[in-house]
Amino acid sequence: MAKAEMKYDTQPENEEHSSLKGTLASVFILGAILVVTWVGVYFLYLDRF
Amino acid sequence: MHMHKFEKIWLIFGVTALLVFLTVLGVSAFYLGNQPPSCLATVDPEKVDTTAPFNEPGLKKVEGKDWDYELVFVAQAFAYTPGDVEVPLGAKVKVIATTKDVIHGFEVAGTNINMMVEPGYISELVTTFDKPGEYLVLCNEYCGSGHHMMTSKIKVVE
Repeated sequence: MAKAEMKYDTQPENEEHSSLKGTLASVFILGAILVVTWVGVYFLYLDRF
Repeated sequence: MHMHKFEKIWLIFGVTALLVFLTVLGVSAFYLGNQPPSCLATVDPEKVDTTAPFNEPGLKKVEGKDWDYELVFVAQAFAYTPGDVEVPLGAKVKVIATTKDVIHGFEVAGTNINMMVEPGYISELVTTFDKPGEYLVLCNEYCGSGHHMMTSKIKVVE
């Protein structure tokens, strides 16, 4: 690991080795759920007196 | 430090969400003047019955204020005074509540009225009763053996 990090500057293709697509998708799915619940609760608040 | 492109994307998203939150909070508190229901107003809990406005609980019309009515509630184990009150539809009301003994809740089910009433403090909330119906007031802070019996009723009538 340490070696790979040291060699980072000469090995920019490192990014291709670790695919984070699934992580990105799950992070944004979770983010979307949070945003939808916030907005939902906010409109519930506006609708009530 | 090496950081994956995707990591940058979700960090920017997270930090933006945090900034939006803090901005909303700041605008709400400092520009719109929103404050918690119990905000520095105090009353001697042993003299609630003789201290205005708690010496006359119930709905009272007021003049020259931002609201049309004041609805005063006194909570004590295990009841509210008044136990039943009618509010005209569309009235802008300041709900003012306190307690004579322990901490009680003051929740009007199905509305945004939800405050904690603490001995020694006055909880206030201004709202416009714009939907007719019968609303249940209930205690949502455990206050003792009769907690589940502690209710009142607000009728919004035309």
